[in-house]
Amino acid sequence: MSVVPVPSAFEARSNAAFKAILWSLARPGLVHEMPESGMAQIVEALIDRECAVHCTSPELAHLAHNTGALMVAPELADHVFADDVPVTLLDCLRRGSDLHPDDGATLIAHAELTKGARLRMTGPGIDGAVEVMIGGLPGGFWQRRAQVMRYPMGFEILLVDGARILGVPRSTVVEVL
Amino acid sequence: MAYVATRGGERAIEQSQRLFKAEMGTITQDRVAEIRTAMPYLIDRVMGEASLYDEDLAALALAQTGGELYEAVLLLRAWRTTQPRIAVAETVTQEGLFTHRRISAAFKDIPGGQVLGPTLDYAHRILATEVLDGQAHKPEPVEQATRPSPARQPSVAAWQAENGLLNGSTPDTLTGNDIPDVTREPLLFPAKRAHTLQSLARAETGGVLALGYAAQRGYGQAHPTVNELRLAEADVIVTHPRGTQFSAGRVKVSQAEVVSKKGEQLELGFSATLGWNEVKVIAAATLDLNSKGAPKGAATEEEFFLYHTEGVESSGFCIHFKLPHYVTFQSSLDAMRDAKAKKTASEKSPEPAE
Amino acid sequence: MTLQALTKPWEPMSYGFLDGSAKREIRRKMIKAIAVPGCQMPYASREVPMARGWGTGGLQVSLTLVNPAMRVKVIDQGADDSVNAASIRRFIARVAGTPTTMNTLEADLIQSRHRIPEEVLREDQVLVLQVPNPEPLRPVQPNMSIARQMHADADYGRMWLQLYEQIVRSGRVMQGASYPSLVHGRHVMTPSPIPRWDVPKLHMAKHLTILSAGREKRIFAVPPFTRVEPLVFSDVPYKVEDHAELTCHRSGTRGYLMNEIPQDDGSSLFEVSDSEWGVKAIRRRDGEDVALGETWYKNGKMPS
Repeated sequence: MSVVPVPSAFEARSNAAFKAILWSLARPGLVHEMPESGMAQIVEALIDRECAVHCTSPELAHLAHNTGALMVAPELADHVFADDVPVTLLDCLRRGSDLHPDDGATLIAHAELTKGARLRMTGPGIDGAVEVMIGGLPGGFWQRRAQVMRYPMGFEILLVDGARILGVPRSTVVEVL
Repeated sequence: MAYVATRGGERAIEQSQRLFKAEMGTITQDRVAEIRTAMPYLIDRVMGEASLYDEDLAALALAQTGGELYEAVLLLRAWRTTQPRIAVAETVTQEGLFTHRRISAAFKDIPGGQVLGPTLDYAHRILATEVLDGQAHKPEPVEQATRPSPARQPSVAAWQAENGLLNGSTPDTLTGNDIPDVTREPLLFPAKRAHTLQSLARAETGGVLALGYAAQRGYGQAHPTVNELRLAEADVIVTHPRGTQFSAGRVKVSQAEVVSKKGEQLELGFSATLGWNEVKVIAAATLDLNSKGAPKGAATEEEFFLYHTEGVESSGFCIHFKLPHYVTFQSSLDAMRDAKAKKTASEKSPEPAE
Repeated sequence: MTLQALTKPWEPMSYGFLDGSAKREIRRKMIKAIAVPGCQMPYASREVPMARGWGTGGLQVSLTLVNPAMRVKVIDQGADDSVNAASIRRFIARVAGTPTTMNTLEADLIQSRHRIPEEVLREDQVLVLQVPNPEPLRPVQPNMSIARQMHADADYGRMWLQLYEQIVRSGRVMQGASYPSLVHGRHVMTPSPIPRWDVPKLHMAKHLTILSAGREKRIFAVPPFTRVEPLVFSDVPYKVEDHAELTCHRSGTRGYLMNEIPQDDGSSLFEVSDSEWGVKAIRRRDGEDVALGETWYKNGKMPS
């Protein structure tokens, strides 16, 4: 055991991707960098046979399925990977319960970061308030999110734009400006 | 720099381990093999509590820890953490077990017969001190039975269920990967049936016995009758990715059914574990029998006995009190002194305290 | 699918000891813990090569987060050289090849038992606190299922009643360490057995705090800029340990939490609990050019 352990490429990528995910939720509204572009690295970092997953993209579904995860409808999924997010998707996401808020889902979606609708975010992880521009989501998205969640029940949103990621945990209050 | 020079933590822990190991001398392959051969029941107990079936590793863990059981189990559990899961075996059924010993206290005779098998139950417990004088203790050869008992036997509970005696719950039809795994999911309450049975299977023998005995003595509602106690070997049937099924080997298992009269029917308690460990499965089945409807905080309540019979957790927490706690202690001391000062001040002055 | 696809090349040990599935479990639960600050998230805690109750929860979080570029500091009761801290530090370095440090300012990740360092943590730093008992309601409700329901209902009446009874009986809240605190106005959490002195350091802090109980299998978090308010009555203010006026007999530093060292003559000496702060103060006194970070407490007072 005198050899210095070296992480495999997979381990290094998952570790770095998770670091970006972690900080994006710890500091909502701030953009963080992942090691690569796209959602595959998020599947690698989070998904295995303990998960129930829904993917709209067939390639990602294949990857997620190969981890041993159960492929299910969005309302049963603990992780939903979506290219497009119809507002109605928000209605069916798992929100957990007061007893088990951790049963709420994580939604990973494509969006345009730092251009688009102007939003103001407040809540844990935010020093006062942060303003951010997010595009590529349907109209009424943020209003619907606020309507369907009752803290501590809710779901987390990770928005991915290439290698960039921005997190919106359920604790974040989002105002559309 | 005097402050820095007194920092001897790393050296101290290194030397403390050397002292511990010095007493046991060199650990060799032969020593491990001897432990494995000479102490099968100890190996079984360790494998059951570790929920890891490997006799060589269990013997190695015992050799490495000098027989410190809690340490040996922890060593195996930690090793288990590093192992990938490559397959889930087929469900094992009672009637599919290769049975060595199977007895029932509920009936004089049972379908398939009472099979005494290997046991010390009727041995006179007399130390063979002649061994210490150099006289080897050689076991008498076993005489073959004229009519060998069948290797596979039905369960007694199945017969009772057929005869409408058993308050049988609906059978659990989950198989394979759908069976919840308590080592991959947190234990929550009310516990999933699989989690309860898995937790009891890996529980610490002494802990299960203590609480099971409490239930047997009267701190439980149900008085158990041993419906069936079985020591057996189970085939581990796995499916190759190409689809063929094969046996990856056999593991020793113990299982107990205990029953108790409830109204016009029998209530069933069940337990099984890896390795042969009769005390554990009878005590665990007693707890299972008593858990339904047990009041919160009773020894027979599921949350109570599952948390408190987890040997790695309980032994670890117990010895953690050796760790320094001087900051927490200082914090309490501060509150006590302040409260005392307030009291003294209020006794001196007629004014009420703040 | 082939057998090969299900397995991986043989390694004597995974990087960072934990295998991929253990790390993913911790990652998933850390996400939820951060999303609902102060709420205890159950997780499938793995056995690690240390006894339960000795920091296995904190260790699993650290092993999940580390990479070879991450500098790790480990303390126990404030001290880097405490035997168990030394043991954990050595283990992390051995299985993950991480550089280690005792200097709070240099650390990327700090795993701690019962203390938060005296120097202000930055927004790029992670504090991992080891938690023996994650349930603040345990003294009033030992049953975990009932306690969970009480959290779900935000039913903290019995908690308040207990504090009130202490004030009536003893003239003050008698809680020493582990002072129950309301996080983000919703969940009551134990800050782990840190002294009362350290609890205000969690309130609206810049750093991320992750609290993990390995034996009890619960993980919870305080993200940066999150309210952490000790439970107090408006007319009986929160009171930290009365250490503001104490001076460390070794380093001369003053206004920080101290260890009391009983003396043969019946008196006591004090030495600063944050051992590395003490070391730096001594070095500074001896003329070395040592960087001292900004501290949370100034002249023994926490600026509000």
